[in-house]
Amino acid sequence: MKNKLKVLRAEQNWTQADLASQLDVTRQTVNAIEKGKYDPSLPLAFKIAEVFKISIEQIFSPEKEA
Amino acid sequence: MSSSKGPTNLERGIKNTAMKLFLFTSTWVASTALLSFGPRLWWNYETSTTVFVVAANLLAGALMLLAFFRHLKSMDELQRQTHLEAMALTLGVTMIFTVIYGSLPKVQLLTESNPTNILFVIGITYILAVMGLWISRTSE
Repeated sequence: MKNKLKVLRAEQNWTQADLASQLDVTRQTVNAIEKGKYDPSLPLAFKIAEVFKISIEQIFSPEKEA
Repeated sequence: MSSSKGPTNLERGIKNTAMKLFLFTSTWVASTALLSFGPRLWWNYETSTTVFVVAANLLAGALMLLAFFRHLKSMDELQRQTHLEAMALTLGVTMIFTVIYGSLPKVQLLTESNPTNILFVIGITYILAVMGLWISRTSE
């Protein structure tokens, strides 16, 4: 699963630690999601969508990176 | 948004449950030591005292397990998944090691096998598995 988390975070000018604090996860978890090394659970994906005020589909997509 | 300062709720929660886990683990280790050495050194194998210490040891063990589950629940999901996968790996390694280690005296490659050594294998495997899995997922 690929995601636009890094781009969205950069648009908000947030650090990984800022986003992690809002999501109540560790900075390493945000880093692992951004790098595609970890796919978040559905509750965390909803929380991410809520923080950015967009839908889950606008952040995550099932296709692999080319 | 400004950069977050100080510990987050998650970090405070993990620290809190880790402290309780340390406390209950210490209590269990102390009660295990008391059970191992107490009957010979302090109460001359008096049955009622030994039974009381066995009960205390079981209670301390149960509290330690409960504290471990609470600690696991206080982690974030990647940390929790890492620990659960490390436990699965540890279970497999322990099973393989126990079977082969138990067989070594029968095939006369060892004079005897000490079950305590299995605890070392469990501990070392778990620590290495947690470290390896965590580093592989979070390396920059």
